[in-house]
Amino acid sequence: MRKQANLDVLIVGGGSFGTALATLLSEMGKRFEMWVRREELAQEINTQHTNTRYASGHTLPTDIRATTNLEQAVERAPTILMAVPSRSFREVARAVGDTIQGDQILVHTTKGFEIESFKPMSTILREETCTLKTGVLAGPNLAGEIMAGHPAGATVASHYDEVIDAVQDLFRGGRIRVYGGHDVVGTEVGSALKNIIALAAGISDGMGFGDNTKSLLLTRGLSEMARVGVALGADVFTFSGLTGVGDLMCTCASSLSRNHQVGERLAKGESLDQILNSMTQVAEGVPTTEAVHRYATSKGLDLPIVRAVHTILFQNGGVADTIAQLMQLPVGDELAALRYR
Amino acid sequence: MRESDKERVLVEVVHRTFNHYTKDPRRTEQALFDTLYEERLRLETEGNRTKAKKQGAFYRRIHKEALRASPARQSELLKEVIQAFADEVAGHFDPRVFALATRVVPPALSALLNTLSPLRLLTAIPTGMATLNDQIVIEGETEAFKAAARMGTTVLVSTHLSNLDSIILGYALFRLGLPPYTYGAGLNLFANKMIGFFMHNLGAYKVDRRKKAEVYKHVLKTYAGCTMELGYHNMFFPGGTRSRSGAVENRLKMGLLGMSLDAYIHNLLAKKTRPDVFVVPCTLNYQLVLEAETLIEDYLKAVGKSRYIIEDDEFSKPNRVIDFFTRLFSLDSRIHMVVSKPLDGFGNVVDEQGRSRDHRGRVVDRERYVYQNGSPAFDAQRDQEYTRELASSITKAFHRDTVIKPTHLVAYSILDWLWEKCPGMDFYRVLRTGGPEESIPMTEAYSRVDRTLGTLREFEQDNRLRLDESIRGKDTGAVVGDALAHLKSYHRRPALLRRGDRLFHIDRNLLLYYHNRLTGFGLPTWEKPQ
Repeated sequence: MRKQANLDVLIVGGGSFGTALATLLSEMGKRFEMWVRREELAQEINTQHTNTRYASGHTLPTDIRATTNLEQAVERAPTILMAVPSRSFREVARAVGDTIQGDQILVHTTKGFEIESFKPMSTILREETCTLKTGVLAGPNLAGEIMAGHPAGATVASHYDEVIDAVQDLFRGGRIRVYGGHDVVGTEVGSALKNIIALAAGISDGMGFGDNTKSLLLTRGLSEMARVGVALGADVFTFSGLTGVGDLMCTCASSLSRNHQVGERLAKGESLDQILNSMTQVAEGVPTTEAVHRYATSKGLDLPIVRAVHTILFQNGGVADTIAQLMQLPVGDELAALRYR
Repeated sequence: MRESDKERVLVEVVHRTFNHYTKDPRRTEQALFDTLYEERLRLETEGNRTKAKKQGAFYRRIHKEALRASPARQSELLKEVIQAFADEVAGHFDPRVFALATRVVPPALSALLNTLSPLRLLTAIPTGMATLNDQIVIEGETEAFKAAARMGTTVLVSTHLSNLDSIILGYALFRLGLPPYTYGAGLNLFANKMIGFFMHNLGAYKVDRRKKAEVYKHVLKTYAGCTMELGYHNMFFPGGTRSRSGAVENRLKMGLLGMSLDAYIHNLLAKKTRPDVFVVPCTLNYQLVLEAETLIEDYLKAVGKSRYIIEDDEFSKPNRVIDFFTRLFSLDSRIHMVVSKPLDGFGNVVDEQGRSRDHRGRVVDRERYVYQNGSPAFDAQRDQEYTRELASSITKAFHRDTVIKPTHLVAYSILDWLWEKCPGMDFYRVLRTGGPEESIPMTEAYSRVDRTLGTLREFEQDNRLRLDESIRGKDTGAVVGDALAHLKSYHRRPALLRRGDRLFHIDRNLLLYYHNRLTGFGLPTWEKPQ
């Protein structure tokens, strides 16, 4: 029998979004803990109330308590929010899976796929834990803006109403409006693929192009996101929501977006290695581009923007040449790929 | 089922179904009138006139009264209808026949399956079992299955190709030393008087698939659930009906499947000492399928709009049944039943100690899945999703434990070649005319089969399917020869026929039927005509 839960929620991950979530939950007076891998970070959060690596410039609320004991933390929480990067997701999920039980709720906030397998995070949760009540929380939520106290919105998608209700209850009355949905695949695809389009938007900004260009990229990018989603079984309408258009607008327009920053710096001539080595945080769009490009190639999906970003990132394609090639592609019915399903 | 248990089940079925439909008075009225409408529609085509007259009078009386009745009286009338459904489903059970049936049926079945002449049928009963033991191979997780049946209630869920399946399963259970399983048998099975008689008395309950009323379906699944709660092992085909296309089921009916979880939660709430209900998937695998011609014809007539209930198929013709078995066994063709690992109601594998295990093999406390605020509780939406998880585990097990036989392999390879030769041609036209090439050189056929076999061997290594012993370790020529011997032996027209050094496709519908067993495994295929 599980020990009596005395937390409302556990946040797994001490990165920028995990810290932003902790700030929100603190504002609402929730009982929670934050699991972080490194002891030094736990100490910094607990004693200095800062997270200089992932939330520099922000002082954290004093009730945010970090721990490195995952087993104990998981046992105490009825709901667990996973905010870890895709590259370490499986490993952390497996560790959570050593303790979690079937009545607990497990929701991830990771925007990406596992590169080798092209599996979304919800599949990894299913493979690495026994819990079935899983979900994804996503939307236009730049961590910096949340930390700065701005209002925002998000979507929690799960096959289980209980999961949707639990997550909505956690954030109810706060400054983030959490909508519910059942399209887990669509939500995950939208959240992951918009990072690729954000790279493209950054490249466009870096080249000094204006809003016309960006609008073209965003709209056609959205179409590519929806194409991948539909191929994986998503509802095309999900892409008109917060985790589709919403997240896309946010991440492509904001200079706070890490993916946007990578794109911009690429256009200005820096190499990908240089850029990634200089960053303390993960730009999920980079591994996601690789995973999506491989998937699209194997399935015969036509994704010109994804292909162009892949060329620039991994095939040393010149930015100007690649954009020129993109503009030379034949044009057809704008919505043909989505209309006749 | 014990008489006292039968009464308990009936009372509970009526009570629960009644409660389900009377929580909201508007729902009660709708349920009552919907049922009356569906039943009167059914009676218009009821073949048995005496039955139609009797039931017609019953429904007319209910309808006449219901039109002017108060909500309270409408509830009572609905209860009458529910009671009538429940009585019909439970049927009549005679313990004396049950005792006789458990003694007589297995050897009789053995004789039937050996399809001997009437004289030999009588004399063969003592020795028939040995032959049958050889012809029906039971493999897989049989010990885990038996262990599950000792530790809790089991629900055997099988792939479904033929009406013979339930008989084969009944025999397999007998051979495994398990008691008869409660089974919802379609009316068409009861049409065969001898089988129907024993079915009824071996725990089978009657399912009339012409009854479309939602209330009737609720009675059926509640009946199954209540028997599970009382510890009666159940058996059903989660695909709902025989696979028309010949493919392994990948979509299951959720209603009946969900009753295993429902029974488990009821047992937990009742604090039973043995609350567990385990679901055991199994596959039945034939080189030839008795009703293949009718099934594929039905599938092709209107894909997705099957006639659903076929009463005039090969199963209803004793000569065809005898012919089928004679030919099958003369070719030394074995029927494989493969038992998969038992599952809990959430799709987790259950080990021989009765513990649920997650994907990583860690022990799972399954009771906690149904906890709300620290204790077991129902949650319709949650439980429906759990059942989807279970269904997904079952379909994976169905595929993993499907035994690919030479007929499937050869039909798949040759039809794939045919698709390739008919680019842009209408799907039905290819089946009807066969396209521009009426035959394939044997060397090409061998090479095609070799190619498919190479992929299948890889799949078997990855535990994605099983290859039959008549394929494993045999050379391509022998495998093709085996398949051709089968494909020309029983069906009215051969699917494939070798003449000289060429292989002619004769009955392409049959070819499609056996080919379809291999769809759904992710084999690379030539694009099928539309």
